Amino acid sequence: MSRTHGVMAYVSFLPLLLAAIAVVPAAHAQTYPDFESQWKNPNPDRGDAWDPSKPPGLAQQPPLTPEYQAIFQASVQDQGAGGRGNNYKSSCVLDGMPRLMSLTAPMEILIEPRLTFFIFQNAFVRRIHTDGAPMPKDEPPSYQGYATGRWIDEDGDSRYDAFEVETRNFKGPRAFESSGLPLHNDNQTVVRERLSLDKSNRDVLHNVITTHDSALTRPWTVHKTYVRERNPRWEEYSCQPPPNAVFIGLEEYRLSPDHKLMPLRSGQAPPDLRYFTQPQK
Amino acid sequence: MLEHRAIVILAALLPMAIVPAAADMKYPDMQSQWRNPTAGRGGNPWDPNKPMGLGQQAPLTPEYQAKFEASLKAQKEGSQGNSRGSTCEIAGMPKMMNFAEPMEIVIRPNIFYFIPVQVPTRRIYTDGHSFPKDAAPTLGGYSIGRWIDEDGDGRYDVLLAETRHFKGPRVFESTGLPLHDDNQTIVKERIYLDKSNSDILHDEITTIDNALARPWTVDRIYLRVRKPIWIEKNCHEANPHLTIGNEEYFLSADGKLMPVSKGQPPPDLRYFEQPVRR
Repeated sequence: MSRTHGVMAYVSFLPLLLAAIAVVPAAHAQTYPDFESQWKNPNPDRGDAWDPSKPPGLAQQPPLTPEYQAIFQASVQDQGAGGRGNNYKSSCVLDGMPRLMSLTAPMEILIEPRLTFFIFQNAFVRRIHTDGAPMPKDEPPSYQGYATGRWIDEDGDSRYDAFEVETRNFKGPRAFESSGLPLHNDNQTVVRERLSLDKSNRDVLHNVITTHDSALTRPWTVHKTYVRERNPRWEEYSCQPPPNAVFIGLEEYRLSPDHKLMPLRSGQAPPDLRYFTQPQK
Repeated sequence: MLEHRAIVILAALLPMAIVPAAADMKYPDMQSQWRNPTAGRGGNPWDPNKPMGLGQQAPLTPEYQAKFEASLKAQKEGSQGNSRGSTCEIAGMPKMMNFAEPMEIVIRPNIFYFIPVQVPTRRIYTDGHSFPKDAAPTLGGYSIGRWIDEDGDGRYDVLLAETRHFKGPRVFESTGLPLHDDNQTIVKERIYLDKSNSDILHDEITTIDNALARPWTVDRIYLRVRKPIWIEKNCHEANPHLTIGNEEYFLSADGKLMPVSKGQPPPDLRYFEQPVRR
């Protein structure tokens, strides 16, 4: 090939080359799976059972240590007597992880290269860091914990298929579900999640969640599914304690019909009044 | 010579290659974490250029000016006045744009998101639909918006938003500066990057409300946070206010009941069988 032909061949190839370059940003936008949507729990009427294949409460048969099984049973008993047991949600303490992922209300997913947002209708936004950076050393512990994630291309088609997330750095108290199924007070929980779209139905999102916690005798894996909502509606949520409940510190009381403080249970001690100088009304 | 021609052709074709990328870049560079510079200074005024309370010189009608002054008096005496902050009820619009903590903006073709730390995500729908007829009234209202390319450079500069469908009660700031009980508020916003400093975001907010004698416009600004920090902060856990019946109390740092004003009697504990602890 003469030098002239070589240069012309190069020039004639240029549009194709440039077209390929031009496509790169669009292709990047297509890298992530089709998670961006509103997602719902398919069976919200079944409560917030942590393992959705079983009823909530003792029927979950969680692999708890004997100490935490006793704490769990005490919670169930207290709730049977009208108390809240280990379920602090009633005083608007945050659900935290892993309980958040039961989706008692819709959730939206937004994917950015450095962060993936799980936007809950009835809880604070969860942020999953995907920039590869380690957790900051001064990160304060939280109910949601600090989540890092990585996208996986399982079949090598240059498009991510699965999202693996690990969450640590917790504070408590936290419970798996409203029955008060407890996590350990040491807050050393590690939650690992694997999210992927159903291969035969792209409107179903799977989340396989494994919880490692000192209250458990072994890691506990549950399989949750969420269904896509193509016509999302959002309700405004603002957590408010029940109107007849009064929380002073960790103690729960009731408000009588004549607006006076009442014990929740027989024999409950009244609140400490050491800061009042006046006699009672 | 031919090599020179090749370079000329390459230079001519290059803009073609850039077109799709430019199309992806049609939104302004607002995707970031932003913070309100007036937050955390012991107050969060609605008009950030004026002091809170009466210093705001709000264009209230005489009726609502009287309600505002009554709220300020009640707060001086230890109660909450018109402010509902002590209940941890969400602030609603327009007060929610005060952002006491940082917020993140995410833009999608159909929705503009304000994602704050501790209050619900705000969605401004930009897909061209009008206000739904069956939208339930909320404290945050329902927001629609449209993007404007002001200088015709093929890139949007400004988001115009309008919010309606409210419930109440709502206030502009924690001093209890009130909006009207009829909840017919309309909030119009003009959101854009500062032309001389793209690390400053403006939100010109005009509130049209029957508590006001005229529309009230304030220019709120937010500063870009290059190293975002997220804090989990739950109002209910940090809340030192407690109401029993119609009486307000404080909770001490050690979780015990305290009076809000000197000489306030303790609550009536007639329903308890156990002796009172002091």
